[in-house]
Amino acid sequence: MVYPYQFSVRIFGIIFCLLLNYSITLFAQSKGRQAVSMDSTVVDSTDMLLEAEFARELAAEKKTSTSGLAAGSREIRGLVSRSGSTLNPKISAIGTFLGAATQENAASKPLDIGLQEVEIVFDAYVDPYTKATFIIGFGDEQENPFAGPDEAAAFDGEFSTELEEGYLTTLSLPFSLQLKAGKFLGNFGKINKIHPHAWNFIDQPLMYANYFGEEGLLDRGLSLSWLVPNPVGLYQELTLEATSGAVASPSFTGRKDLLYLIHLKNYVDLNENTTLELGFSGIRSSNDRERHKSHLGAIDLTLRWKPLRRNRYKSFEWMSEALLSRRDTATKTINSTAFYSFLRYQLSRRFFIGGRYDYAEFPDDADTYEKAVSVVLSFFATEFQKLDLQYQYGSPAGRDTFSRILLRSVFIIGAHGAHKY
Amino acid sequence: MLKTKNKPLKYALLVIVLSVVFTKSVAAGEKIKIVTSLPDLAGIAREIGGKYVTTFAIAKGYQDPHFVDPKPSYMIRLQKADMFIQVGLDLEIGWVPPLLEGARNSKILPGAAGYVDASAGIPLLEVPQGDPAKLRAEGDIHIYGNPHYWLDPLRGKLIAENIYQGLCRVQPQNKTQFENNLSVFRNKIDELTAKLQARLEAYRGVKVIAFHNSWPYFDERFHFDLVGFIEPKPGIPPTPKHLVSVIKSMKQQAIRLMIISPYFSKKTSRLIAAKTGAVLVELAGSVGAQPEIKTYFDLFEFNIDKLIQGMEQAGIVPQNAK
Repeated sequence: MVYPYQFSVRIFGIIFCLLLNYSITLFAQSKGRQAVSMDSTVVDSTDMLLEAEFARELAAEKKTSTSGLAAGSREIRGLVSRSGSTLNPKISAIGTFLGAATQENAASKPLDIGLQEVEIVFDAYVDPYTKATFIIGFGDEQENPFAGPDEAAAFDGEFSTELEEGYLTTLSLPFSLQLKAGKFLGNFGKINKIHPHAWNFIDQPLMYANYFGEEGLLDRGLSLSWLVPNPVGLYQELTLEATSGAVASPSFTGRKDLLYLIHLKNYVDLNENTTLELGFSGIRSSNDRERHKSHLGAIDLTLRWKPLRRNRYKSFEWMSEALLSRRDTATKTINSTAFYSFLRYQLSRRFFIGGRYDYAEFPDDADTYEKAVSVVLSFFATEFQKLDLQYQYGSPAGRDTFSRILLRSVFIIGAHGAHKY
Repeated sequence: MLKTKNKPLKYALLVIVLSVVFTKSVAAGEKIKIVTSLPDLAGIAREIGGKYVTTFAIAKGYQDPHFVDPKPSYMIRLQKADMFIQVGLDLEIGWVPPLLEGARNSKILPGAAGYVDASAGIPLLEVPQGDPAKLRAEGDIHIYGNPHYWLDPLRGKLIAENIYQGLCRVQPQNKTQFENNLSVFRNKIDELTAKLQARLEAYRGVKVIAFHNSWPYFDERFHFDLVGFIEPKPGIPPTPKHLVSVIKSMKQQAIRLMIISPYFSKKTSRLIAAKTGAVLVELAGSVGAQPEIKTYFDLFEFNIDKLIQGMEQAGIVPQNAK
């Protein structure tokens, strides 16, 4: 049951080198093919020979001309500084303001109000082959009546700064592959990848809070995804991730092994107005210093209806996720489960109403559980500002039930791009 | 146990093997697969590309082009495309970038041969002036200018030229055919515009109010007088108070015609129509907005027909053309 740490690192290294090597070679080949076919319809052997000759010549030139480059680069630098401001990445700032009123007996302050988070997003093409994204977050501690009284920390005006995400995405790997490298939210389930400000409810579902912690599954490493070709034109995306495993997640407390993740997203248009998404996720990593393993498996289902002719006035969405956890420890195996289901209906151009039911056990304790029922009313003032009002009735583990009301305002300035469907 | 340890490696190899098996290269004689953001661009691309192209438009003609969901099924279309054409000017900012990124097709990314921004070189209206940081106080403003330029047939000729250049980059061996198609298209557009302008000449300067600011280019070409909008600011729905002021000014200025795109709710406009006696005309914002609008030319024929019908219905007397 005990694996040498270095061995897994080696395996990981081999995968990475293999993929990189292979894709670079293929990339070079496909580029060559495209360039040739643009100029003539027939690709014959003389073209290939000429191409090889050019490749040799260009490679040779690179070596000899390094001394000449320094002199020329001064002029280039002048050019860059003139167009510097237009080359700025797309920048946006997203603010989240939160107010919470909680019933007296709950494990949190009755009234709490403050700026919950500010996110700064930088986003731009690095070159024709890659794109970079950086998201820096300034967050304040907030009340959580589900957490124990010791952990409950109110807004205190002290903001902690964190690099929430920072990654490079390739744009031109062959065979519909895409590689992401850096620190990013894991492609687990439906909402892990989505930042909280874009959720259609205010609080994190208990399933994610209990199994991944308040930030969700966030780690450093590599993510390779592939659009699986199939004859019927179904959208299938397979993602494999290998990340450091050093995560602040209650499920994977070992921090000694890499974390492996697999995700398959299936998507189909049922008709012009209705879409169905079905996802399967799995994770494996260790949960203690002795490298006992934890496995998580999850399924997510999202059904959306939005009539194209009136797509700003009416819509309906049903999103559900369920998770199974198997945690091996020195003495026993703990099997636990969690799920939530969320339903949302659009009342008019700017108003939405939704409801969510949560049930979650704990990765290290399948005998206690938490439950919550929520109703959410949202008002989208514009594309750049929304207000959410949520009522929640919660049953935390080992504490009294409580009611609370949350009010959230999310506002965006700058060039904030679109969210994934 | 070593077997399970190797699982990730196995998956990775499986991915590589399968991708080699499934990927096929595109032969040069095949049709150019064009995906466009809006059906109007697909319509023009069909005119220029002729039998050498197949087209697919992501947004439907009856859909609001500002708010299209970036559904993964469109990524599959883009993944297989040889060429992608968009309106640009940030009209599609909410949905094209995630689609292009998700499609993993380097042939159609900005800067590649198969990418066409149809707005290149087009004279724009309503380019906002002043401090960019204050722009959104004016509602959903497009920083480069009003993006509804395809509603002017003469600007359509410039779109056609941009598409023609894209086609020549992707399939240079058919350049002469594309060139012929382009000149045929230009002539047809000139004839059509002259014909429709003549039909509307008798209604020159008639005051019209629109729901959303989609029509400045159309207005500029066909010389009616677009005096205002029912929306207080672009993208901001009208309040009852604002509607009262709209009704007042419509009565003052004797505005008897309202135009609206099919994807907006007609509730508020009908309310205004009932209070002012003005006629509500639903114009097509894009090819395919109505089943009978099949080509880019049909779009203008349809809209001018509708407009003239509306004017007749509103009892606006045509002036004798000079």
